[in-house]
Amino acid sequence: MVDLIRLENVSYRYYDHIHALCEVSLEIAMGENFAIVGANGSGKSTLLQIMAGLIYPAEGRVLFQDIELSERALRDKGFTRWFRQCMGYVFQDSDVQLFCPTVLDEILYGPLQLETGEQEALKRAYEVMEMLQIEHLKDRPPSMLSEGEKKRVAIGSVLSMNPEVLLLDEPTNDLDPRTQVFLVELLLALNEAGKTIVFATHDLELVSELADRVAVLSENHRIVRIDNTENILSDQDLLLEVNLIHEHVHRHGKIVHRHLHFHPLPHKHED
Amino acid sequence: MANKIPLFLLIPSSKETTPRGSGKMRLSFLEKGIHHFARVVKEGYIQWECSSRNGFFQKIDARVKILFLLSFILMVSLKKDMVSEVGISILVFMLALLSRLNLLQVYKKVLLLGFLFGFLVALPSAFNVITSGEIILPIVNLSRPYQLWIYHLPQEIGITRQGAYGVAMLTLRVMNSLSLSLLILYTTPFHEIIRALKVLKIPNSFLMVIMLCYRYLFILAKTVGEMHLAKKSRVMREITSTEARGWVVGRVAFMFRKTRLRCEEVFKAMLARGFSDSLQFYGFPAMQKADWAVASLFFCLGIFFLWI
Repeated sequence: MVDLIRLENVSYRYYDHIHALCEVSLEIAMGENFAIVGANGSGKSTLLQIMAGLIYPAEGRVLFQDIELSERALRDKGFTRWFRQCMGYVFQDSDVQLFCPTVLDEILYGPLQLETGEQEALKRAYEVMEMLQIEHLKDRPPSMLSEGEKKRVAIGSVLSMNPEVLLLDEPTNDLDPRTQVFLVELLLALNEAGKTIVFATHDLELVSELADRVAVLSENHRIVRIDNTENILSDQDLLLEVNLIHEHVHRHGKIVHRHLHFHPLPHKHED
Repeated sequence: MANKIPLFLLIPSSKETTPRGSGKMRLSFLEKGIHHFARVVKEGYIQWECSSRNGFFQKIDARVKILFLLSFILMVSLKKDMVSEVGISILVFMLALLSRLNLLQVYKKVLLLGFLFGFLVALPSAFNVITSGEIILPIVNLSRPYQLWIYHLPQEIGITRQGAYGVAMLTLRVMNSLSLSLLILYTTPFHEIIRALKVLKIPNSFLMVIMLCYRYLFILAKTVGEMHLAKKSRVMREITSTEARGWVVGRVAFMFRKTRLRCEEVFKAMLARGFSDSLQFYGFPAMQKADWAVASLFFCLGIFFLWI
């Protein structure tokens, strides 16, 4: 497979002092379903924002289809238009992403900017709303939606631009179980349709359901391992070390027992 | 789900060759404004970092520093001779040096603000049109003096010795007040400054409001930064000023709504933790011998500057 995104020794610091990423190198292939996992504050969101060309690394290089993403490159009108269309970013907090007066305006925003024509834009918007089951919300302002509905609208607003890559920051946070299942099915279907999916999370259940490959970020902001999902999820020592699982005590009937807390991992109840 | 995917999403959107050209994107006023706003957070971080350094002034009790600041600012404003103003400037410089502050960063601000609010504001008073006296720098020579209503324009217009002295004094006063304030700000964590204000008998409720505002400023700056990045990720062309203004208006309304909700939540959280109409702050520990020694030193220095 061809490398779509490549990071070479990328480092990033907030306010020039606080380390957010240290010498991160990774490659993501076209059509891949790639997860970035790490504890809170490990630099997952920063990494996604660097891939999306929203912020620029202090050191190292980011390449998209072998073209370096620099501040200078993204000042070029033609390149920016092409790149932003290719790369869709869904923020963790949907509120910051939705800025149009109604849901329909929100979904139309991308296609209208791409100058696809009003009819084509409307067709796309209605198809996306049907897929996401949000047609009944089309005239509502985003502020009048639940968290799950906002997330669907945020995804719809990005999908209507038909991006090649979808970057999702903590996609299942604050979502009810039904919306979580809907989202997983949607992302799998989009991946099958050829879209590259990259998501950041600390939810290992989501990783086990979605990802082909996983990059693990440690609490000192470095990539400690990149491997296929099975190998990562079966390495309990690694998951413990990067604070993604923990030992916990709980009760089953009259039995109190202790095990590593991660439900996809099988565990036995001692008699 | 697979058969519900719209047809347009199955067609690859990107072209094989990367389009270039069509000119450069200009930085909109929106982007510039947000960069400036983001500096609020950065400044806050710098202030916190400087105040945590192991320097002379950082170790002193915040109450001593607040009293030092107020008494010296009062002195700077009351003294009418250049020698004591220069003396105070040297003292503050020495304290900044001992506190391991970034002198360039501090004095860049002092000089800029001193120039704007000291020198430029006072500059007209240097001319004999406003301050009469001995002209040391003639500028314009008129054919005769003029009387315009209550204003008198002398035949020779220029900068007077007394006027120049006044401008220099005012500029020095502004610069000294600024450098004193920045010295305290960069060597004391914000929460300690607020608590130290209690020695001035400022009501707790007022201090609480200042603390909440300060905390909210950072949340606001972070949210604004995120909103800007979210917008940037969906913008594929240069946005016009009208569009940018429209976006700003919409986002201001959103922030207002969010702030109101947050305000209610914070109040409920305070109620849940036992808040009543009387606020109680954790008090300061007793002052150390070193604090008393420094306080005495500053007192002696104050007397010295008043005396000279």
